[in-house]
This record gives sequence, structure tokens and C-alpha cells, in this order.
Amino acid sequence: MSDSILTKEEILLDHFQNIATDLSADQLLVELSTLTNHYSKLLKNSSKLIRISDKNERRLQSISAELEFEKAKVEKIAGQLSKYLPKQIYESLFNGDQVDEIKTKRKLLTVFFSDIQGFTNTSSLLQPEVLTKYINLYFTELSNIAAKHGATIDKFIGDCMMAFFGDPDTRGDKEDALACVRMSLEIQSRLSALNTEWQNQGLQHPFITRIGIHTGWCNVGNFGSSDRMSYTIIGGEVNLAARIESASEPGGILISSDTYALIKDHVKVISKDVLTLKGINRPIQTYSVINILDDDHVDMSTLNIRVSKDDTFNIPTPDLTLQERLSLLEDLKRAVHKLEAISSS
Amino acid sequence: MDNIDISPTARTPSLKLNLDTYEFVLEGESYPEDTTKFYTQPIGQVIAFLGTKQDKPITCKFKLKYFNSSSAKVIMDLFTAMEESAASGNSVKIEWHYVADDDNMQELGEEFSEELSLANFELIPV
Repeated sequence: MSDSILTKEEILLDHFQNIATDLSADQLLVELSTLTNHYSKLLKNSSKLIRISDKNERRLQSISAELEFEKAKVEKIAGQLSKYLPKQIYESLFNGDQVDEIKTKRKLLTVFFSDIQGFTNTSSLLQPEVLTKYINLYFTELSNIAAKHGATIDKFIGDCMMAFFGDPDTRGDKEDALACVRMSLEIQSRLSALNTEWQNQGLQHPFITRIGIHTGWCNVGNFGSSDRMSYTIIGGEVNLAARIESASEPGGILISSDTYALIKDHVKVISKDVLTLKGINRPIQTYSVINILDDDHVDMSTLNIRVSKDDTFNIPTPDLTLQERLSLLEDLKRAVHKLEAISSS
Repeated sequence: MDNIDISPTARTPSLKLNLDTYEFVLEGESYPEDTTKFYTQPIGQVIAFLGTKQDKPITCKFKLKYFNSSSAKVIMDLFTAMEESAASGNSVKIEWHYVADDDNMQELGEEFSEELSLANFELIPV
């Protein structure tokens, strides 16, 4: 006999299996009547259990369908939510890596600030619908490029974008700083092309952008109240990055000596002013970024355009600002189109 | 015989037998990892209690939200024991509590009560 919820039934089965064979007809009738009663009860119970089992299954299917519906709803909300959070933070949260508590840490980060030159004036001259359209296109481009380079976008403040490299993921101090500069160069290059395109569409005020970069120790993490918090960075080094950005030339990329020290073997720069910034108690040497020196670097110190045998333009590229180089690039592209049109006519 | 007071877990119900008030209560969800291991000892004690002549009315309260098929078998055995207890002369009242809009749990209570004729059965929506 086993110790199970069917013990009673097993005892009965055992009884009837071992029934004496020499019982009288009357005794057999009594046993048969008992067996029939038990079988009848067992049948009813089996029938009941089948119905209960089917009901449970239907209930589970219904719950499963509800869960699928809720899951789809959560995924939709999560998708919308992802647009309001830095990509890395969103992924950390949904992987369960990011704890939703007020907690900060100090990390060496490369901080990026950008804003549009004269945006206040530009915004007052444009129709709100036009401004909305172009500023959204502008930030979409910046966000896509930032995502490509692995930046954590901290926030958009008016026409300013604040981002950083080094948290929650880091590729090392030097690589983080290089990634930031690479991203900035791509942003300026893309904006140069876009501004030409938008001007052709009738936008009279191009979004010439200033970029400032600084590397320093920052407090990073969740700041705010227990009910409402923001994943961001704070500290004097963040303010310094913002100040460097405001000292940048329109269309340029200005980096601090701290960032330059990390990547000096990989970038071509022009030394700029030593800045004395309000609230910062040390002078800051700055550098304007010209280009990244790739591993397969070729001499790009002079651009030679040979028009004819005796007529060659030599343009010393280091003398050009980033904005001038990008503008030249657009002019050359147009010249190529014209030449192609001439040759095919 | 002692009182029974088993606390609920995520998979098992609370199970109580109060020998002062003559009250048995099974409450919560029931889908134990091992139904036999969970129920055999306490339910054996409850069935023994029901099988003894009592001088006060016995009340059995079921307040279940979900139970699996093997738990249903245990409940059916309990109902049989309660009906047999009533047949032996005890006053037995069975209360089947269910959440008012839980049609499934109401129907299950009705199914279990089908075999009862001597024990007093009451459906109680809450």
C-alpha cells in the first residue's frame, strides 16, 4: 500500500483483488454491492476531477492570454519609455542591472556639451511649426550619431545636448575620450551637409553648432527624490565642460587639456586660448580639434587641387578651422556634381 | 488530538483545526509540490476528528482561490468525511467562500456539494 492521496482507493482495490474464492453466493452479492457502490463513487469523482481539470486548464489559458496581452502592453510602454531614457540606462533597467534607488558613484567621464549658435534669435525668427520640425530633425541626427558611438545622452536642454562617455559602460578612459571626439567630428560633418540641405529647403538660419568636451571626475548616478529621480552627472567638471562649450567657435570642437592629454597621439588639434572660467579656480588650456589621426593615417597637411598642368591650388588644411573645412567639403561636392554634369552634356 | 495551525505559502493554503470552536478552515491557493506530503498528516487528523462523535456543531470553511486536481481529490475526500460525519449524527456545516465575481470557484463549490445530503452546505460570496 502506498502513502498517497489515493490510499483509500488502493486499499479497496487490494481488498477486492484478494477476495476469498470460496465465498457463498450471498457473501459474493454483498461484496459485489460494495464494489458497485465504490465504483459508482469513483466514477463520479473521476468525472468531477476531469471537469475540474478542464476548468483549471481553461482558466490557465485565459490567464495566459491575459498575460500575453499585458506583456504586449508593457512592451509598447517600454518602447515609448525608451525614448525618454538614455539607451544604456533603459537596457540596464530592463536587464535588472540598474537598481532604482538614489545611489551615486565617482567616475572619470568624458563630458560632451553642444548648442546652436544664436538659437534664441533663430527661434524668434522661425514659425513654431518650422522650428519644431527642424529642431526635431537636428536632435534625431545628433541622437543617432551619439547612439552609434556609445554616448549616454544625459538630457536635451533647449537647443543644448548633454552627453557623456564612461558610464554605465566604459571602454577605458582613452577610448571613451576618443569615442567622444569621433562622435563630435561626425556630428559637425553631418550638420554641415544637413545645413546645406536645409538651406536649399528654405531654412535661412543654419544650425551652426558649438561643441565642448572635457574629461574629469564626476558624480554619476540617480539624483533626486525617492519618488522622482534622474540618472545624470553632476560636479564642477560638468560645469567646466559646459563652459568650454560656450567658448568653442561656432562649428568647432573645443576640448580641455585633460581630454587632450588622453588622446594627444590620436588627434590633430590647434592650440587655443588658456581660458579663465568663472567659478573654475585654475586656468584651462584648450584645443580645437581638427581631425582624428586614423591608424592608416596619410599626410593630410596639404590639399592639392590640380586644375591644369600649370595651375594647382595648394590648401594648407591645418590652417583651416573645422567649420571652414566642412564648408570647403560641401563646395567641393557641389563642384564635383557640376563637373559631372558638364562632362555628361 | 491537537489543534492544527499551518501557515500559508505561495503554493499551499493555510490549514487550521480549532478544537475549542470545532472549526476547520482551509484558505488560500493549493498546488503543493507534493500534495501527499503536505496533506496526508493534517487531513488524516481532520478526518479522524470528523469521524468522532462531537457534542458541538462542526463548521468547515473553504476559502480557496485556486487549487489543482490533486488538491481537488483531497477536498472531495474531506467532503465525503463531512457527509459521513453528518450521517453519524454530528452537526456539520460547510461554508464555501468565493470571490463574488469568481464564477469558476462558485461552480466548483456547487460541484462538490452535489453529493451532500446530510451536511449543511452554504455558498458564501465575498
